Amino acid sequence: MSALIFTIVLGIIVLYLGFIKNKAVLAPIAIAGLLIALYLSIQDWGLGSKYFHDMILFDNFSIAFNISMIIITILIFLFGIDYYKRMEFHVAEQYALMIFALTGAFLMTSFSNLIMLFLGIEILSIPLYVLAGGKKASFRSNEASFKYFMLGSFATAIFLFGIALVYGASATFYLPEIKIYLAQFNGNLPPMVMVGLLFILIGVAFKVAAAPFHFWSPDVYEGAPTIVTAFMATVVKTAGFAAFYRLLGMGLLPLPIPLEKALWVMTGLTLLIGNLGALKQTNFKRLLAYSAIAHSGFIMLAMLSQHDSAAAVLLYYTFVYSLATVPLFIIFILAKRAADGQEELSIFRGLFKAKHWIAVFMTILLMSLAGIPPTSGFIAKYQVFVLSISKGILLTSIFAILMAIVGIYYYFNVVREVFTEREQPEVIIVSKLNAALIIVCSVAVVLLGIFVWRLPI
Amino acid sequence: MILLIILLIPILTGLFLLPFRNAAVMRPLALASSIANLLITLALISSSETTTFTLSWINFMGINFSLGFDGISLIMILLTNLLFPFIILAGFNREQRNVHLLNFLILFTQSALLGVFLAQNAFLFYVFWELALIPVYFILLIWGGDGRKTITFKFFIYTLTGSLFLLFGIIYLYQLTPGTHTTDFSAFNQLHIPAGTQNWLFWVLFIAFAIKMPVFPFHTWQPPTYNMASTQGVMILAGVMTKMGIYGALRFLFPIIPLGVLYWQNTVIVLSLIGVIYASMIAFRKTNLKMLIAFSSMAHISLMVAAMFVVNTFALQGLLFQVISHGVTIIALFYLASLIKEKTGTLELPQMGGLKLQAPNMALLLLIVVLGSIALPLTSGFVGEFLMITGLFQQSIWFATAGGMTMILGAIYMLYAYQRAMLGERKTVFEQITDIRTLDYLILIPLIVVIIGLGIYPQPIFNLLEQSIHSTQNLIKPVADVVSIVAH
Repeated sequence: MSALIFTIVLGIIVLYLGFIKNKAVLAPIAIAGLLIALYLSIQDWGLGSKYFHDMILFDNFSIAFNISMIIITILIFLFGIDYYKRMEFHVAEQYALMIFALTGAFLMTSFSNLIMLFLGIEILSIPLYVLAGGKKASFRSNEASFKYFMLGSFATAIFLFGIALVYGASATFYLPEIKIYLAQFNGNLPPMVMVGLLFILIGVAFKVAAAPFHFWSPDVYEGAPTIVTAFMATVVKTAGFAAFYRLLGMGLLPLPIPLEKALWVMTGLTLLIGNLGALKQTNFKRLLAYSAIAHSGFIMLAMLSQHDSAAAVLLYYTFVYSLATVPLFIIFILAKRAADGQEELSIFRGLFKAKHWIAVFMTILLMSLAGIPPTSGFIAKYQVFVLSISKGILLTSIFAILMAIVGIYYYFNVVREVFTEREQPEVIIVSKLNAALIIVCSVAVVLLGIFVWRLPI
Repeated sequence: MILLIILLIPILTGLFLLPFRNAAVMRPLALASSIANLLITLALISSSETTTFTLSWINFMGINFSLGFDGISLIMILLTNLLFPFIILAGFNREQRNVHLLNFLILFTQSALLGVFLAQNAFLFYVFWELALIPVYFILLIWGGDGRKTITFKFFIYTLTGSLFLLFGIIYLYQLTPGTHTTDFSAFNQLHIPAGTQNWLFWVLFIAFAIKMPVFPFHTWQPPTYNMASTQGVMILAGVMTKMGIYGALRFLFPIIPLGVLYWQNTVIVLSLIGVIYASMIAFRKTNLKMLIAFSSMAHISLMVAAMFVVNTFALQGLLFQVISHGVTIIALFYLASLIKEKTGTLELPQMGGLKLQAPNMALLLLIVVLGSIALPLTSGFVGEFLMITGLFQQSIWFATAGGMTMILGAIYMLYAYQRAMLGERKTVFEQITDIRTLDYLILIPLIVVIIGLGIYPQPIFNLLEQSIHSTQNLIKPVADVVSIVAH
């Protein structure tokens, strides 16, 4: 709880620091603040404290996810130091908004009441609508912001409607009570509850960009400033899945058959659309957007397996996925600068010749996303398949494996560009900080695949 | 511990040498390390001790870093460590871009391959299996010939597709193990899986190995990849990596799913024999020397697969003997092919001819290797293929007949190719060609010594097989048990 309050205060402080004209102090202060928040979160481990009439429960699940998201946010802020140096943004706002979004994310991992979930989603989303439009002069960025806002509010409305319907039937917002309420029907839910639950699930599915509610994500990812895209692809996705899992685990499982079927169809569609969609992409940001959708599919597979270890696998998967995604965005920005603002895959051509080590690390990161040993991405996928196969979900697992092969195809399409010869490769300038970030993340991606942990959450 | 040393020598040498940009330092040291590794392996073989190395890795998923070996692994390790010095040597005195990286990747491949053959845990096996693919992918992508981008990509996707199904199979077996699940082979071997399950599980597991070997109709990646690969790349691929498929099939299929093996036995044998005939016919029509050798390799491997699936001791002994023999012969052939390419600038047979007049020693060496490849008596190929065909004969005379076509058709296309390349009129364009150099002798003579030596005196390998006969019998015991139960 102290971490949550501290983070909100931090956001306000950073916002007011904008009055100082020195941009250089912002990121260090924000990062120092996040480190304190990280420390405060760790302090709460194992306490399981409840607040606000039990509307918030900081159990180990929420703390683990919060820690994971704080770490990723710190990485993104470190990336921001170099990124915002060249931008004519009001930088203080950017950092502050991301910190505010992070507090929303905290609520999404720790709710035990639907109202808190709603608040969390809104606190997360509203800063993102603004952030997506960060490049005010850019047509793309404005489009992204507007599109995200329109579709996002629509999804929120549906979500809220779902909550209202469930409340109308069960007279409670508390998930444990909803669970008891649902259990008495033995799966034959009244239509009102059924529709209510469906709407709630649709609302959450929109946030994690699960098909068929994914249409916003490629456009928004492409249009938004790259650092915001990185934030959305990692922290927001983690928060979304933590909320999704908590919603199911705390309240809705076991789902009534039609809803479970609907979720399975969504999983299949997400895998299919994410992976096949990525095949045709020539824009790297769009490629990563589809890759994010594809990973949502694998995470959903783990989640729906209803295995006891699903939460731990979810945490591991989202963390190592984020850890590989952030440095890829950094490398993308470096290559984009060298190629005068182009965003096509071809900007990576000749990267191996230009900078050996970046090419090697980029390959490691892409290998992790593709799920090839010895990276942690492989262990993550392995665990997902262990969950699903040991629960007897064979055909969907086979389908997911086929989709993983498609995934390898498009990730290695990028690797192929990197190692293609080019007469005069672009000159890539890497600041020391960015270099350190790329190296640390890549090494961590490999090490986490060797020293595998599973937190008891 | 000695197993860990054998496993780590190549990769550590590779990492150590990475900062040296100087080819003159890099290559001899890489060679020295691989020779040292060969000597350690020979010491391990002659000491005939069994040793293991186990380290707990990911406890909650039952994954151990456990190394160990039986007779079959030993053959594979011997093959790997025997061939890699020659593969590294093949890079000497040649212009290569990024030598340090290339040698690192080669040594990396060697470690990964050794890991595959030493792993006693299926997960570990899988990790090494994939690890071996990564450096080879880059060796092909960076140092390959024309069309490398597309062809390497196809090769990569093709093999990974198979691998992922293997992964599915491993996880499926994992969750069948009793108690706290584990991926140790020893636990897998204890499983009693219902027949119906074994029948579909067979293909889930086999497809990865079938693609790697390759078995008809999963072979389409192979000829273009071999053709495009650099000399060292193709030596690794054809010499050692095909044997990964054979090893994997032996390790996974026979002890774990014997019923599945028996159910699909004839299907696989027939597919392989189709592969034998098909590859031989195409080899006959190929005018590109490297393509021709690629298809001939496929024909020989197909015969080995057929022999594997008749499941009797004769055939298995022949198979393991042939693993060594084929490895040695094929890298000699590919090396010679690349020599011819270097000297004449072409691989097309119709453009060659009369090379014997310019390079008589090369022609002689090629002739010996070709004879070894077509399994002439007194060469190592004969011993292996004879045993395998005997084994096939015990199953069915038709299998033996079709299998025997490898030798007959092989003789036809190989000798025809030899004749077109080496014999005939002197060609004016080739007048500048010189005979082979000391380096080439250093590579080819030892290989030929092995080919002829094992043909005349195959006893050393049989002694080794004597050790492994125990393991081969263990290996086919589940299958044999089923057969005897059915018979009663």
